[in-house]
Amino acid sequence: MWTLPIFLVGTMIALAIPLGFYVARTMDGRAHLPGWLSWIEQRIDTGPQNWKQYAVAMLIWNVVAFVVGFAILTLQPYLPLNPDHKGMLSPTTVFNTLCSFLSNTNLQHYSGEVHLSYFSQLFVICWKQFHTPAIGLAALGAITRGLRGDAHMGNFYVDLWRATTYVLLPIAVVLAILLMACGMPMTLDGNFAVTTLDPGAMGSDEAGTALPQTIARGPVAAIVAIKQLGTNGGGFFGPNSTHPFENPSDWSNVLENISIMLLPMAVVVMFGRMLGNLRHAAVIFGVMLVFYAAFLGWAVYFDSTQGNPGLVAHAEREFTIDDPAAAGGRRDVPLPAVAGLPVDQALGNHEGKELRFGTSAGPTWAASTTCTSNGSVNAMHDSLNPLAGLAPLAGMWLNCIFGGVGVGLINLLIYLIVAVFLAGLMVGRTPEYLCKKVEAREMKLAMLALLVHPLMILGPTGLFAALDWGAKSLNNPGPHGFSEILYEFSSASANNGSGFEGLADTYGFNDNAAPAPYAVHWDIACGLVMVVCRFVPIIAPLAFAGSLAMKKRTTLTAGTLRTDNVTFGCVLFGTVVLVGALLFLPAAVLGPVAEHLGPLPFGR
Amino acid sequence: MNAHVRANLWLLVLTIAIGAVAYPAMLLGVGRVLFAEKAEGSLLKDAQGNVVGSRLIAQPFRDARYFQPRPSAVSYNAAATGGSNWGANNPNLRKRVLKQLGLVLKYRSGEPVGPDVASWVREQLRANPKVLAQWHEVTPDLSAWWVAADSANDEFVTKWASEHPDDVAKWRAGAEEGAEATAADLAGLFFASYANGQSTTWPETNGEDLQSAFFEAWWNAHADADVEKVPSDLVMASGCGLDPDITVKGAKYQLERVSAAWAEARQRDPATVRQTIEKLIDEHAHAPLGGVAGVPLVNVLELNIAVRDAMQGTTAGAN
Repeated sequence: MWTLPIFLVGTMIALAIPLGFYVARTMDGRAHLPGWLSWIEQRIDTGPQNWKQYAVAMLIWNVVAFVVGFAILTLQPYLPLNPDHKGMLSPTTVFNTLCSFLSNTNLQHYSGEVHLSYFSQLFVICWKQFHTPAIGLAALGAITRGLRGDAHMGNFYVDLWRATTYVLLPIAVVLAILLMACGMPMTLDGNFAVTTLDPGAMGSDEAGTALPQTIARGPVAAIVAIKQLGTNGGGFFGPNSTHPFENPSDWSNVLENISIMLLPMAVVVMFGRMLGNLRHAAVIFGVMLVFYAAFLGWAVYFDSTQGNPGLVAHAEREFTIDDPAAAGGRRDVPLPAVAGLPVDQALGNHEGKELRFGTSAGPTWAASTTCTSNGSVNAMHDSLNPLAGLAPLAGMWLNCIFGGVGVGLINLLIYLIVAVFLAGLMVGRTPEYLCKKVEAREMKLAMLALLVHPLMILGPTGLFAALDWGAKSLNNPGPHGFSEILYEFSSASANNGSGFEGLADTYGFNDNAAPAPYAVHWDIACGLVMVVCRFVPIIAPLAFAGSLAMKKRTTLTAGTLRTDNVTFGCVLFGTVVLVGALLFLPAAVLGPVAEHLGPLPFGR
Repeated sequence: MNAHVRANLWLLVLTIAIGAVAYPAMLLGVGRVLFAEKAEGSLLKDAQGNVVGSRLIAQPFRDARYFQPRPSAVSYNAAATGGSNWGANNPNLRKRVLKQLGLVLKYRSGEPVGPDVASWVREQLRANPKVLAQWHEVTPDLSAWWVAADSANDEFVTKWASEHPDDVAKWRAGAEEGAEATAADLAGLFFASYANGQSTTWPETNGEDLQSAFFEAWWNAHADADVEKVPSDLVMASGCGLDPDITVKGAKYQLERVSAAWAEARQRDPATVRQTIEKLIDEHAHAPLGGVAGVPLVNVLELNIAVRDAMQGTTAGAN
C-alpha cells in the first residue's frame, strides 16, 4: 500500500536534483554547444530584454502559436495523416482546445481517439506540449535573473529554444523509448477491428452478423512522453493514462508518475543554483515536499484503505433542513437505512481504477498530477472516494506545490513574498527578499497574481452552479455535482487539465447532432479562465522581478529576516495554509465534505 | 520588429520540425525496429493467424465457459473509451453493482445465488402478486431493468400493451402532450396491472433477467444468506472501460461457473476440468512490480485463450 508511493517519491527526488543542475547550466547558457547549435541560437537571439520586452516577446510567440494551431485544427478534415477520417471540429471545441494547450493546461473538452486526426495530435497537441512548458521554464529563468539582479532578464526566444531542445527533447526521447518497451503503441496505422474470442459478445448487427471490437491506436508514445514531462497532461485517448495503450503496465505507470514530478522538482534546484543560494531552494523544496506528502497520504488513506462508501451499509438517519413552508422554518427528513452489499472492498475503491498499476497507484498519481499542474490521470477522479477527491482539489487550489514547469515555483514565489511581508509586519521592518526591499508596488503585483486564481475559480463556479449552465451538465447528484463544477474551474484556473470527467462539456464535431447542452458555455468560460490564469501569474511576477532588479542591494544584518532556514520554512508553510484555507475552505465544505457526511447514495 | 519576426519564424519552423516531425518520426523508427509487435498495439493472433484482440485491451464475454472481465462503462468500445465517472453518492453506481451482483454472487459452498433469486422471485409473485408493487417502490428502476434484461420481456410487454389499450390510454392522459410510452413505461404499467391481479401471466425466460433486476429485493429479504463476498474488481468498472486484468481472487471466484460449463460442453470429469483451469489461472498470475505494489492479477483474454486451447486439445476455434 505505502511502498509504491514511497518508492516513487524517493526516485523522483534522486533524479530531480542532478537534472536541476543540468537545467540551470542550460538556462544560463553555460553549456558547451557544437557550432551549428550556436549558429541556430544566433538566428533566434534578438538581444537582451528587460521585463517588458520579455513579456511582449512571450505574448507575440503565444499569438503565433495560437494562430498556427487554429489553422491546423480548423483544417483537420483536409490535412493528411487522418486514416479514420475525423471531420470538422466545432468552433468552440477548437477555441477551448487551443486556449487549453496554449496555456499548458491541456483540459480536454474533446476525446482524443474520437475527435482528432493523427496530424492534429502531432502538429498541435505534441508540438504545443513541447513549447508550452518551455515557456514556463523560460519565464522562471527570467524571473530568477531579475531576482539575482542581472542587468537584463535574458532573451525569451533563446530561453524557449534552450528549454525545448536541450531540456525537454532529450528526456522525452528516452522516456518514450522506455514506454514503448513497456508496450505502448507508436504507429500511424488506423483503428483495427478484431473478431472477439466469444463471437457476438460485442453484439450483432441487424443481419445477425457478430460485431467486431474496433480498437483505436496511433502515435501514442510520442505524445504520452512529453505529456508527462512537461506538466501537460493532454492525453492521446479520452480517459488519459487509465487507457492500456497510454499506460500499459505497472512499470509504465512508475515511469509516467515519476516524470510528472521530475521537472517541477528539478526547477526548484535550478532556481537555487541560478541564484547561487541552494539553502534557500532547499527550504522551498522542503515546504513543497511536506505539502505533497500530506496530499498524497491523504488521498491514499481515504481511497485505498477504504471501500467505496456508496456500497456499504448506512444506518437509518434523520436530517433537519431549513424549509420556510414548515412550522418553525425547519423540517425533519428521514432517511431509511441502506443495506450493505456483499462486495469485498479490501483493496479500496475500485471504481474508475485500473488493476495493473497496483493498489494505491490511483490516488498517488492523483496527488502528483494536481500538486503539479500536469492533469493527466490514471484513475477517474470523479469516482474517488469523497474525501480522497479533496486532495486533488486542494493541490490545484494552492497550485504551487512544485506546480507546473516553471510556473509552479513562480506561484510559490508569490506566496513567499506574502510570507516575507507578513513576517516583516510582525517584526516591524520593511520586508526584504534576497536583500531587496519589497515595497507597495511589489506587493500590489504579488496580490494581483495571487488573487486572480481564486477569483477565476470561485466566480465562474458560483455562476455556473446558480444557472442551468452548470446544473444541467452534471453526471452526479447533490454535493458531488457541485464538486464537478468546482473541479472544472479549479483545473482551468490552475492550468491543470484534469477533471471530474463526468461533466457534460463536449461539443466535438461541428455536425454533432446532440452535443452536451451547455458545451458552448463551458468551452468559452474555461477557455477564458485558462488564458487569464496563465498570463497574469506570469507577467505580474515578471514585472515584480524587473522592479526588484532595479533596486539597490541592502546589506545583510543580524536584523534581516533570513529566508534560508527552517523558521522561514515554517512561516512559508503557515502562509500557504492560511491563505489557501481562507480562500477555499467554504467551497471544500460545500463539495467533498458535504458529500462525505451527506446521504449516500444521494436520492434514489 | 524585424528581429521579432525573424526569431518567431525560426522558432516556429524549428519547434514544429523537432516536436511534430523529427521526434515522432524517430520514435516510429525505433518502434518498428525494436518493438514491432508492441508498437502496433500488442495484437494477439490465434493459430490461423487471425487477430483475436489486443493483449492490453479487455473484450467482452457472454458465454459461461469464459472468465468475465471487469464491467465496462463504455461496453468495451475501444474506439470511444471512458469510465462511469460516478461518485460514491451517485445512486446509479449502487444500482449497477446490484444488477451485476445477481449474476455473479455465489454462496460460500460455491453454488451460484442467481437460480435461487429467480425461483424465489417467481414463487413470491405467484403467492402474492402485491409484493411486486412494494419492490417497485423500493427499486423504482425495477421495471426498466427487467424489460431491458431480456428481449422476451420486451416482446411480452409490447404484446400486453396491445391487449390493454385502456391502461396505455390512462398513462397517456397523465403524460406530456405527444409523449410515446417507452418499453420501460409499458413494463411499469404491466407491473401495476400484475400487482393488482388484473394480469396473471408472466413471461418465461432463462431467469437471468430476474436475477439481475430483482437482486435488491432478494438481498433485502436474505441479508443473512451465507454468501461469499464478490471481489470488488468484478463489479466496479475501470477508468477506461478496457482494463484487461482481473484479480486472481476474482478469477477463482468464477472458477466453479467456468469449469462446470466446460465440463458440460466437453463431457469431461468436472473435478479434472476444475483442476486444469485452476492451474492455468496460477500460471497466468502476475502482480504489479512483482507483488510489491499490488495483488496477483490475470489477463482475462490470455487466460480465456489458454483455457479454450486446453479444453480443445487443439488451437482451433472454440465453436
